[in-house]
Amino acid sequence: MAMNNASRIIGAGLKNHLKFSSVRVFAPRISSVAFSQSNSLHGKKWKHSILAESSILCRTNLVSQSLASVRSFSEKPPLTLEMIRDRVLLVLKLYDKIDSEKLTLDSHFMTDMGLDSLDHVEVVMAMEDEFGFEIPDSDAERLLRPNDIIRYVADKEDVYE
Amino acid sequence: MASSRSRVIQLYKNLLYLGRDYPKGYDYFRTRLKSAFMKNNDVTGPAQIEMLLARGQYIIKELEALYLLKKYRALKKRYSSEQ
Repeated sequence: MAMNNASRIIGAGLKNHLKFSSVRVFAPRISSVAFSQSNSLHGKKWKHSILAESSILCRTNLVSQSLASVRSFSEKPPLTLEMIRDRVLLVLKLYDKIDSEKLTLDSHFMTDMGLDSLDHVEVVMAMEDEFGFEIPDSDAERLLRPNDIIRYVADKEDVYE
Repeated sequence: MASSRSRVIQLYKNLLYLGRDYPKGYDYFRTRLKSAFMKNNDVTGPAQIEMLLARGQYIIKELEALYLLKKYRALKKRYSSEQ
């Protein structure tokens, strides 16, 4: 849904860009004529406007290129339990205070891995970023093992098998 | 009102969110924030905790002001010609 909206916005932006550049298409010619006529006093200014014109054209090109490479999904790809598990473990491994050798699905963040409650807040924030939804504090304080996080995310995303 | 523990955690979370755009980098901010919180981890008096929480709120305001100023300066630099 969000993706759809985003692509619509980009599309609208592109349309605007196109309109803009087609209106302005005459401008470089005029300005280049003026440039050849102009004396040294105004030369600098005209050169500037030509540069601005070419950067606008470049940007339209860029937008159309990036649009071509965007695929519009109507929904995010379906999650499975293994995928959630891999992503949770990856996020935890990338967190600098966790020793990746001590990390197992059942190890407790505080007693086994030696994190304190502030580190735990950071872990939960990393999970929020990874899965794209907010975890309220009352739920966050129960997520003390990687397994708890996996089950919580699976419940929230309606993944059951 | 929520317990002071959860309020402290909430404050830490808010500050971490704000620290993501910190000019000196997120990691710098994170380590400094952590040490600032750990420095006071043995405070137990309710009045003292209340005071520290108020200070945290003040820091949040300061950070917001810092970002506004940063944005203002960037815009000014972009749109004013130096002559």
